[in-house]
Amino acid sequence: MNRIFILTPLIVLLIICIFSLVYLLSGKDPNKPPSALLNKDVPIFESSSLYNAKDIIKTKDIKNKKTLINFFASWCSPCKIEHPLFFEIRKKYPELYLLGFNHKDPTSDAKKYLKDDGNPYDFVGVDSDGLIALEFGVFGLPETYLINEDGKIIYKFMGPITMDILKNEIEPLL
Amino acid sequence: MSSLVGFFSLVFAIGINFYLFLSRYIFKFQKQKFNLFIRFSSLLTLLSFFSLMYAYVVSDFSNYNVFQNSHSNKPLIYKISGTWGNHEGSMLLWLCILSIFSLFFSFTRNIEDNFQKLTLIIQAFLHTLFGLFIVFTSNPFLVNSILVNEGLGLNPILQDPGLAVHPPILYAGYVGYSIVFSIAIAGLFQNTDDEWIYVAKKWSLISWTFLTGGIALGSYWAYYELGWGGWWFWDPVENISLMPWIAGLALVHSLMMVRGEQAIKKWIVFLSILCFSLSVFGTFLVRSGILTSVHSFAADASRGIFILLIFFIVTGFGFLVFLLKEPKKSNALNLLFINKVSALVINNILMIIATLTILLGTIYPIIIEVLYNKRISVGGPYFNATVIPIMVPGFLLMSIAPILSWQTNKIRNSKKYVLGFITLSILVLIQSYFLDFNTWGFVGLLLGFWIVLASIIAIFSSYKIKINIKFFKIINPHVAHIGVGIAIIGITCSSVFQNELDFNLNEGDKFNVNGKTVLFEKIEIINETNFQSLRGKFLFDIEKNQSKEIEAGKNYYPVSKMITSEAGILHQWNKDIYFILGDQKNNEWFVKVLINPFVSFIWLGVIIMMYSGLIAVSRR
Repeated sequence: MNRIFILTPLIVLLIICIFSLVYLLSGKDPNKPPSALLNKDVPIFESSSLYNAKDIIKTKDIKNKKTLINFFASWCSPCKIEHPLFFEIRKKYPELYLLGFNHKDPTSDAKKYLKDDGNPYDFVGVDSDGLIALEFGVFGLPETYLINEDGKIIYKFMGPITMDILKNEIEPLL
Repeated sequence: MSSLVGFFSLVFAIGINFYLFLSRYIFKFQKQKFNLFIRFSSLLTLLSFFSLMYAYVVSDFSNYNVFQNSHSNKPLIYKISGTWGNHEGSMLLWLCILSIFSLFFSFTRNIEDNFQKLTLIIQAFLHTLFGLFIVFTSNPFLVNSILVNEGLGLNPILQDPGLAVHPPILYAGYVGYSIVFSIAIAGLFQNTDDEWIYVAKKWSLISWTFLTGGIALGSYWAYYELGWGGWWFWDPVENISLMPWIAGLALVHSLMMVRGEQAIKKWIVFLSILCFSLSVFGTFLVRSGILTSVHSFAADASRGIFILLIFFIVTGFGFLVFLLKEPKKSNALNLLFINKVSALVINNILMIIATLTILLGTIYPIIIEVLYNKRISVGGPYFNATVIPIMVPGFLLMSIAPILSWQTNKIRNSKKYVLGFITLSILVLIQSYFLDFNTWGFVGLLLGFWIVLASIIAIFSSYKIKINIKFFKIINPHVAHIGVGIAIIGITCSSVFQNELDFNLNEGDKFNVNGKTVLFEKIEIINETNFQSLRGKFLFDIEKNQSKEIEAGKNYYPVSKMITSEAGILHQWNKDIYFILGDQKNNEWFVKVLINPFVSFIWLGVIIMMYSGLIAVSRR
């Protein structure tokens, strides 16, 4: 009886460790909650171009084509890291529509950023008050969404995309 | 350069500790030499830590860690505290404190040589484990691959004097339990006399006092910095610190009990292992990023797995030794219906149940996510509904426990207590009838006041009042309990009787708070060296000549593009008036005012508890 009592902590320890290990190995990250928008319709949005305020993009403009939406800002250093990858995507998948949303950024800063680092996007929408990001459930910059021809979000990635992620997760969907 | 010095002294220190650990089995040597090695390795670890701090102070951005977490514009104090304001540096601080404890322990006299040596060997083992963790997964001395002349800045919410000292104090508590752990394991191995219990008592009191201070500082910081008006949120990281705190409380009480009874030794060993295990578990949960909280650092699975392994080894080793080398059978406990021993046993059981309840609530989301792939969060409602009722009988018992007898069921002066309790119940009942009645408010107030009253009755009826150090040492248990009582009153009032008022205001508006007129004077924007502050200025009680000025607002940190809220708090002895400046909409500012009664009592209670912790350390 007494022995069983003393064994309890070891058993509890084992259970805690097994669960924690499974959790860690499953690659789950509590800071990155699963998106509720996955496999749902793309939220309705309307945004003007960074370069021409009269040039407007709406949800229906991206119907019938695969679209990659990327939220970025000039002040976001991880965005800078992933930036060159969009040129790769651009080159490899010319038919993919690249839509960038410039998030809470002064226009001049954003323009300078895209001038210095290059502009890989087909369209740069302004999201100065962050309302579009709110609709998309953006958690932190950068964030990238893949939308299929039916206007459904089929993939979402939080944080800077890398070569690995591009190869293993995004390309199979393209 | 400083990075190089830091890294090599860190590695060298780990090497020495590994060597010392092996010395248990192979290269044996004398105690003198052994102590010399331990002290030398401690100094090396300190050197390593201070070279990191130096890199922060001089803003040496060739160090990747400094580059990531510091900025040359920061005030000196935040450059220093930046050393531990990040994952890598805080782990180095952890190791550094472990070393300091070993260093002090190596100077302890009055313990048997072999016992001291064995304890230090276990410390060396822990040092090696955590040292390897730092070197392999969290090296703070990495060289920056690019040449930069400016850093990325410290998380703005960490730029606060209270938070600058919170981690070192909290860690001193967590890591202090390592010595208690090592002592208990050494005690199991040697199984000699019970001298180690007195040694362990001192160290567990020191750790517990530090832990109390660390938790209180963190909680006070959350109160004025997070701007939610509360001081405890059952945030996972708060729970993690609360678990070793409660277990440590049980340990301290059990160690006191040893003076009268011998049978509790096994239980003490169990608690000693448990306290440190919970500390390491907490480190694991925070450092692996497995839980979301205000403390989240960048998550990294390899780090998580490494520290989980350490947790498994340390805890598994501890409990395995406990299983195999169980302390000898000792005489049975002298359990009566109500004597000191039974009261302490009941309290210990309650504390352990409370600890396990918190543990369950904290890891439950992990278990559910693994099993069902669903995300849930366990928060305040669960903990309030489970932990508090478990603690209530303990609090009730606590009020009279110090005056119970060891050997008999009798309570001296029992009439006085009964009379006191009845009078107090009636008074509190009348008070809560006239204010709005609330069950928890009633229970909390009654308990708090009763603990204070019973302790005061005990002091006056059991001892001759003298003003000298010896007297304060004798009444120390009662003083500690008065601290708890005062804290309970503060906790009850501030959470149950909190009052919230919302306003939409223009500059120059007057509004009414608690019967006093408040003027919303103006909004001011000031540029400070490393942030821009937006402040709403309020004049409280303008009808009086000495109206008080309150500033509430936000800080904007351009380097990290973050906004922090800065609550404006008017402290009065019986209440805090807590102003939060919200957003501006349609030219009106949203202002929230919280009236938190008796918050100051919580901090007062904590200070009393810490004071008596320190007094108890000096008492044999």
